[in-house]
Amino acid sequence: MKHIDILIIDDEIKFADMLSRRLSLRGITCQACYDGQSGIQWVKENPGAATLILLDLKLPDMYGTQVLAHIKEIDTSVPVFIITGHGTREDEKVCRDLGAAEFIHKPVSIEKITTVLTHARGEMQ
Amino acid sequence: MIRTPQMLQKQEWLAFLFHRHNAHLASFHTFSNYCRIWIISIVILAVTSLSPLVMATFINQRLIQQAVDSELILQTERVTSNAKRSMRFFLEERLNALRFIVNELPYYSLIDNVHLAEILSNLKLGFGGFTDLSIIDADGSQVAYAGPFNLEGKNYKTQPWFTKSIESDNFISEVFTGYRDVPHIIIAVRSINALGRLFILRATLDTQRLMDTLLSYKTNVHTDIFLMNDTGVLQTPSSTYGKIFTPTRLDIPKFSTTTNVILPENENEYTFITGYSYIITEAVTTPFILLVNKEKSVVMGTWLNLGRTFNWIISISCLVMMIIITLVSTFMVNKLYLADKTKAETMMKMEQSQQLACIGQLSAGIAHEINNPLALINETAGYLKDLYHFTDEQQNDEEVMENLDAILEAVSRCGTITSQLLGFVRQFDVQISNVDVEKLITGILRFHKKETEYKGIHVTTDIAPDIPAIETDRGKLQQILLNLINNAFQAIEANGCLDITVSHHPPGQITMEIKDTGCGIPEENLKRIHEPFFSTKKEKMGTGLGLSITYGLVKKLQGNIRVESSEGVGTIFTVTLPVKMKKEDKV
Repeated sequence: MKHIDILIIDDEIKFADMLSRRLSLRGITCQACYDGQSGIQWVKENPGAATLILLDLKLPDMYGTQVLAHIKEIDTSVPVFIITGHGTREDEKVCRDLGAAEFIHKPVSIEKITTVLTHARGEMQ
Repeated sequence: MIRTPQMLQKQEWLAFLFHRHNAHLASFHTFSNYCRIWIISIVILAVTSLSPLVMATFINQRLIQQAVDSELILQTERVTSNAKRSMRFFLEERLNALRFIVNELPYYSLIDNVHLAEILSNLKLGFGGFTDLSIIDADGSQVAYAGPFNLEGKNYKTQPWFTKSIESDNFISEVFTGYRDVPHIIIAVRSINALGRLFILRATLDTQRLMDTLLSYKTNVHTDIFLMNDTGVLQTPSSTYGKIFTPTRLDIPKFSTTTNVILPENENEYTFITGYSYIITEAVTTPFILLVNKEKSVVMGTWLNLGRTFNWIISISCLVMMIIITLVSTFMVNKLYLADKTKAETMMKMEQSQQLACIGQLSAGIAHEINNPLALINETAGYLKDLYHFTDEQQNDEEVMENLDAILEAVSRCGTITSQLLGFVRQFDVQISNVDVEKLITGILRFHKKETEYKGIHVTTDIAPDIPAIETDRGKLQQILLNLINNAFQAIEANGCLDITVSHHPPGQITMEIKDTGCGIPEENLKRIHEPFFSTKKEKMGTGLGLSITYGLVKKLQGNIRVESSEGVGTIFTVTLPVKMKKEDKV
């Protein structure tokens, strides 16, 4: 089982790739999934392998909140950060109830993500 | 200003007549022309309520008129008919007495003056009204005479009455003076003596007796009763036309054997009606026409007075009803107008807030859609920067780095705008908690501490000690104050002043005043400052959403916001909030 830093679940392929590359440049290992099903699949196959998960709400096959619920069923401890351009206050509430760590609006700065990661690593230790 | 319903009524009585026309507001009114509605309602009410009254009065008037007329006709007919009967009886009785004498007594005893005088005295005793008696032969010479005048031997051949009386069996003359110069009537009967010659028994009647009989039917001064002949000359004195023998110039009424009443042609203005009858005895037609004039106004005065009183009462009731109708119509139309106005104002406000909400929804939609590409631009530009940063090549190309920074800064600006737009939509949910206004303001001012020192702005806060902790949405109140204080700081030049005053009035509310000595707002912009996207701060990154969000938030917290400003002097924003928000909006 390969351990990675961040699992990105976002249907915006270019965004996900670009973010992975930037994080890679900073020495952060990433894995990108472009729909909800493959994201859940990855978590199933590699439980506890990711330090944190970045999850978009609007995905082609299912809604982000459903994906979040599935992930939390498999691994309750992994911190899930919602990164979305579409979040309403209701979504935010549902996500928080389901155990999301934070609700972040796009566009998001790379520094924010690295900070969050550092924080998550600290908590793991 | 809070207006009580009483004040509203006093101030806006007749508001529909004297309101200022507002074309935009008028488009929300159900009715457009209240003046017309007012007039129509008065007319309809007046016509429906007054017309039966007027009609009833008119019919009543006609009935009284008809009753008066028929009563008058009846009375006149009765008097005329009774008087005619006694006239006829008076003349017939005396004519029959003469007929009895000529038939009963032989001619020779009649021409005996002594005997004739005896007969006269018996006639006076039995009937009365006789003045003298005479026997005249067919030649016209008087054969015998009994009476007070010395008329013996007179010849009447030339007299018109003689020629008429010798031609028929019975004769009654008009009133005339004759030889004796005293008004009298002649009645004569013709007979034949033993020799077969015609002779006449003539008697003269005293007119006084006739007049007395006639006058006994005159019941009051308003009735005139008199005789005239067929040429219109008076045969007895009349209170209307004068002494005996005066020509009356009246139209001679049509011959009739019965009693008749003449109604003047102009029915409305006549003052009396006339009853007449030709006096016809069984034996002979007399030249007399009996006339009775009855005055209307006096006879029927009671009825006419009653009618007049009734008319007065009706007129006054009509007037009172008109006043009541006008007042009621005015009141109702005014009420209608005020209700319509309130409705129109509410609808206008609703339209405005709907427009705001629509713009908000649209903006939020756009913001959402823009966020994803924005994120991509952000990442791509960031990646480019990273490439330069993490590989050695071109690391020192400052121009490229500057441009990439510019892109990233622009993205960040866009991000701020979209998050504000989302905030604009989010202002609709409220979470209530107890908020200490003083702490809130102090907290916000702390953010600006550096700017205050840098610009040399003099900040004063005057918060009344009795300000209670208010029940409201902390986040929204914070955003309101933040927006207003931010605006003030942006407006204030170096060494300006910012005064924040919080007071606990009016009761149940707190008033916050944020006063700056900044550049002020031009009057033409004052009306538009709450519109979304209205901004004068183009060069300073204004989105034009700050005040419109503030306005929406204040409304959401059931408060009011007011702005006073003069260019170059400064601006005062006054926010009034309830100490306790009403329950229905807490949801």
